[in-house]
Amino acid sequence: MTQAQYHIGVLFSQGGPYGVVSRSMYNGAMLAFDEIRASRDYAFAVTPIVADPAGRFEQYAISTSDLLGRQGVRHVVGCYTSSSRKDVIPLFEKHDALLWYPSHYEGFESSSNVVYTGAAPNQHIVPLIEFLLAHMGKRAYCIGSNYIWAWENNRILREALSAAGGTVLAERYTAVGDIDLSKMIASILDARPDFIFNTLIGTSAYRFFQDFRIACAERGIDQPAEMPVVSCSLSEPELEQIGPRAMDGHISSSVYFSSIDTPANRRFVAAYQARWPDGPATSADAEASYVAVKMLAAAIAAAGSDDVEAVRQVLPSLSLDAPQGIVSIDGRTTHAFLTPRIGKSTKAGQFEILWAASRPVRPDPYLVQTTPRYAVRNGMPALRAIK
Amino acid sequence: MSEPRIIQNFIGYRATIATEQPAAVEQLEDMLAKLGMSSAIAEIADGKLQIEPGDKDVLFIDSDLNVTVETGGAEPSRCLPVIGIVGVEAPSRLRSLMQLGATATLRKPVHRAAVYSALFVGINEFRRRRYLADRLEQHERRRLLRKSLVKAVLVVMQRTGADHSAAYDLLRRESMRSRQSIEDFCETFIQANGPELDEPETTVGTTKTYAKKP
Repeated sequence: MTQAQYHIGVLFSQGGPYGVVSRSMYNGAMLAFDEIRASRDYAFAVTPIVADPAGRFEQYAISTSDLLGRQGVRHVVGCYTSSSRKDVIPLFEKHDALLWYPSHYEGFESSSNVVYTGAAPNQHIVPLIEFLLAHMGKRAYCIGSNYIWAWENNRILREALSAAGGTVLAERYTAVGDIDLSKMIASILDARPDFIFNTLIGTSAYRFFQDFRIACAERGIDQPAEMPVVSCSLSEPELEQIGPRAMDGHISSSVYFSSIDTPANRRFVAAYQARWPDGPATSADAEASYVAVKMLAAAIAAAGSDDVEAVRQVLPSLSLDAPQGIVSIDGRTTHAFLTPRIGKSTKAGQFEILWAASRPVRPDPYLVQTTPRYAVRNGMPALRAIK
Repeated sequence: MSEPRIIQNFIGYRATIATEQPAAVEQLEDMLAKLGMSSAIAEIADGKLQIEPGDKDVLFIDSDLNVTVETGGAEPSRCLPVIGIVGVEAPSRLRSLMQLGATATLRKPVHRAAVYSALFVGINEFRRRRYLADRLEQHERRRLLRKSLVKAVLVVMQRTGADHSAAYDLLRRESMRSRQSIEDFCETFIQANGPELDEPETTVGTTKTYAKKP
């Protein structure tokens, strides 16, 4: 009997402003493909069809059209930014295909043509805010890349702080890829917040961490102790980009850190490092990509084909012993049950885990269980600047 | 009366969906459940849809239906948020949605990605319109009572010898003390403290009080 062959699209940028994280996602996905290929547990073969948008926004739709149209694939693992995901979703709906989106994001979306294996906001920013209020203070300064990831996370933080009697001193946004952040840093030093909430991505973030540490040192400020930077997205490959002089002492909320000390994660990290010795290092998004491919393969096995509706039907019944712990998919929202954690970066380019949820948390992409009924009336900061 | 706050979380809301094409609203029902809302397809009898709206009700109504919406009290546009589900984009159908007070629309068949936006705009715009309508009503009522205010100012001027500005200030202070609008206070004042200005026995008070002399 001929073994069934399934072609799976892989859509990650190998370059561009966020190429480091995106490459780690590609690596995680390809590792999973390798393991599936080497395993005898699958009665079928999966072949990745790789497309590289190279960090160019318009290329995501072009590549997706090619994958779903000419190449005829039904499942694509890919996208990092929300803007690219939102741009390709109509194509997945048109072809009734499935996008396996393996990155943390800001929520307020639930497409039946997307399986979300990255963290929803109740799995990253909500636990982070609880940690901040307990340990960091109530005066925040928000900096971010000027798109939906930053806007929405800042809105959630602003409302939570306002309800707790805290305040957002300012919100400053800059274009993705911008690395001239001197005005932003000067403004933070003037404001002296309890913490900086960072939603910058890619090269902008790395340059900020470097320049901010230098600016603080020049003024005799112990930056991690006096003005810590907290993020929902900072990962190990990004610490490598920040470099040894400024990589330590940053707080990150994530469902995965490569320092998780479990047999499943030790196996994952070892296999990843053996497969990709030149990096980038393992990260939450790499793990989510690995989980997406493994979950897709398990769903194809359970469904008996890669038919989209058949895969959708079996998804809620599956669970995976992932590097972060048990991961399963909520059938109602097609988001994943994941285990939130808070970590603090070290000079070794790792995260010391300060807190972890005791069990996987149900995804709540619309924050219906946590967000207040009413929007905050007077929560806007005095300074809200877009460079 | 303060301006309504923006609602962003609709958990606990109850949606009534009026349509004769349940297949066209499957994604709507699915999305409402994801948002923590309950929903039910409306029962339409004899061309009438009866609904007794509470604080957390919202009506989704198919513009291709030809039904009367009865809410028991005021017209639907004052009672509950109405979100139109647009099928045929004909003026008569769209006009029926306008008359019901629809504050947002969804295209038929409903796509889940549009639902949160329609709820957000529809419910908050309904609350803003109701607030403005209530304020307009309140101002109209107060406008009608301005006659009593003018009379009361004249009575106080006559009785106390105060000028119109001082008489108004006196009435204003007393209305605030009694926690009433100045118009309501003057209406009560005129009823209790006449006499009418054109009555010849009206006397000017000799003390610095506006109260009717015994």
